[in-house]
Amino acid sequence: MRQQFARHTLRHWLLQGAITSLLLAGIVGVCSTPCLADESPKPDPAGIATGDKTSVQDAGGNLFIPATPDPSSPDFAAQKKAYDDFQAQSAKEPIAMKLADSVGHVRVATNFSWTLLTGYLVLFMQAGFALLTCGLVRKKNAAHLMMLNFAAFVFALLAYYAVGFAFQYGAAAINAAPTNLGGTPTLNSFLLGHGSWGFLGGKGFFLSGPGYDSGSLCLTLFEFVFMETAGYIIVGAICERISFWAFLLCELFIGGILYPVFGCWVWGGGWMSQLGSTIHLGHGYVDFAGSTVVHAIGGFCAMALAVILGPRLGKYGADGKPRAFPAHNIVYVVTGTFILLFGWMGFNPGSTLGATDLRISVIAMNTNLAAVSGSATALLLWYLIFKKPDITMACNGMLAGLVAITAPCAFVSPNSAVMIGVLAGLLVCGGVLFNERVLKVDDPCGAVSVHGYCGWLGAVCVGIFADGTYGSGWNGVGASNYLGQAGQGVTGLLHGDLSQFECQLLGATLCAVWAFGATYGVFWIVNKVKSMRVTAEVELEGLDVPEFGMSGYPEDALASIIH
Amino acid sequence: MKRIDAVIRPERLEQVKARLSSLDIQGATAAEVRGFGRQRGHAEMYRGTEYSVDFLPKILLTIIAADERVPQIVDAIIHGGRTGKMGDGKIFVTPVDEVIRIRTGERGPAAL
Repeated sequence: MRQQFARHTLRHWLLQGAITSLLLAGIVGVCSTPCLADESPKPDPAGIATGDKTSVQDAGGNLFIPATPDPSSPDFAAQKKAYDDFQAQSAKEPIAMKLADSVGHVRVATNFSWTLLTGYLVLFMQAGFALLTCGLVRKKNAAHLMMLNFAAFVFALLAYYAVGFAFQYGAAAINAAPTNLGGTPTLNSFLLGHGSWGFLGGKGFFLSGPGYDSGSLCLTLFEFVFMETAGYIIVGAICERISFWAFLLCELFIGGILYPVFGCWVWGGGWMSQLGSTIHLGHGYVDFAGSTVVHAIGGFCAMALAVILGPRLGKYGADGKPRAFPAHNIVYVVTGTFILLFGWMGFNPGSTLGATDLRISVIAMNTNLAAVSGSATALLLWYLIFKKPDITMACNGMLAGLVAITAPCAFVSPNSAVMIGVLAGLLVCGGVLFNERVLKVDDPCGAVSVHGYCGWLGAVCVGIFADGTYGSGWNGVGASNYLGQAGQGVTGLLHGDLSQFECQLLGATLCAVWAFGATYGVFWIVNKVKSMRVTAEVELEGLDVPEFGMSGYPEDALASIIH
Repeated sequence: MKRIDAVIRPERLEQVKARLSSLDIQGATAAEVRGFGRQRGHAEMYRGTEYSVDFLPKILLTIIAADERVPQIVDAIIHGGRTGKMGDGKIFVTPVDEVIRIRTGERGPAAL
């Protein structure tokens, strides 16, 4: 018996395509107009003008070339003397100045290598998460899970390439120039806002013009793999019941709007990073590698979608009690977790954007310490409550520790890292039980607890545990001294800075509200227009064959070839 | 004594079990099988080549019971397993010659 295997008519797909193209064209049209009126620095696509004597720094971050003296500054006299002496000396030593150009170039080149290579490690985390989530669900949905993870990567990057990167980093040069990579001077305009109150970047759409620059594209690669992380987190909560077209819309939304907007506010030189300068809240909102920018955005977006979709069929009985849907492949779950841990060696240390910043070793060790203390805590707690150590909770505990250390990793001591891991391990266990039994939000892989709740915790921990040994001058605050000390970096409550804690608490909570609210707003409407869930028959059969025409494990299928 | 073989939808196993447990069944065996009746399979495409999925996953539930209990058990399975759509399955009842409990060696109705 033959049956049409295209589940939707051609007209359906043409309509979907037309709507999406119109939407994208509209956004691009609006956004390109600022780029056309232009007196920016020239982009350097060949990389031959990036990195020179102005990039040279010593170990302490002191520039080789003294800064132009600032007449309004109290030590203007000293600055002017240093500057004038340097000018005189450099005129007598032209070879030294040429050498300085090479040194600057090598420094930037070292940092390009570092940033790109750590970015590739983060890219590999895609495979880890795909294995982890696939292993955690039922066998009949294995191909579906793999395809969601795969398609997430594909479509989120397309949205990020078109508009996302420009929204997030289009104004980076203003308040957040990555000096380790040559400063990306072409990304210098806000689309929404200006100065210290920026809301959306406006240069680099379609990675063209100002975006087609060697330094800028180095930043793009590193930042897109972080965006992809937020993109695949949602898979963990919406799998086993979301239809593929709806999922693609979610990915375009995350890559094009949800992630870049908050990312601009915190990392792109936007208003949240400038709160230290504008309203004296610590060093502004600080999130080193993305506990909130990446993980909480993904986690709370996932929560909103899970609420809209509703639980899987059969997950909650008539009595309201949750039913177990055991993982179909624990081997994938553990392997996936190890791959994620390995990739995190790129995620956290890579966020210095430079190997010349030797804090990278501290970051790497803090990351591992939080990972293992998170896992050990979750394992022990589960053993005490349920009498057996749950393998999937041990893995989730490790990931929770990793998520929670992601924001504070550069600013805390190893002992604090262990503490943060312990807190995350406790929170993830509580979160999983709370979501399942109290909120009744069906989250097959625990994405909301691991990434949402522990992401929030991580940002708040910056405000508690940061000890001031790193981050002097962060977000342009306290470059000469902070809290009365020269060289004092980002500091938390336990080391005497209440304002940083307040900033972190407010910022992390705003992240949750933004991610949940924006996602719920948009997709509540989408779901009303057309249900984002597959039909009951498809859900019970498993999504592999109905959605993709192939089974994850076809040997089980007893199928035969038609002649 | 009779043997009741029921081919049911996998997602209805919970319902069938719930109804049977209220009848205090002494035992049952479940196997994952694949089959078709009048609910045929359908065609799919793999990398440009067509193939058919004929045999669909079902559960084969087997219960041995005393003659007088058979009607209640069959009723429970029907009500638990019915969705009203094609593919709900079938029940077969056949006579059983002998039943032996391995642990004790008991035979006949005492072994049920």
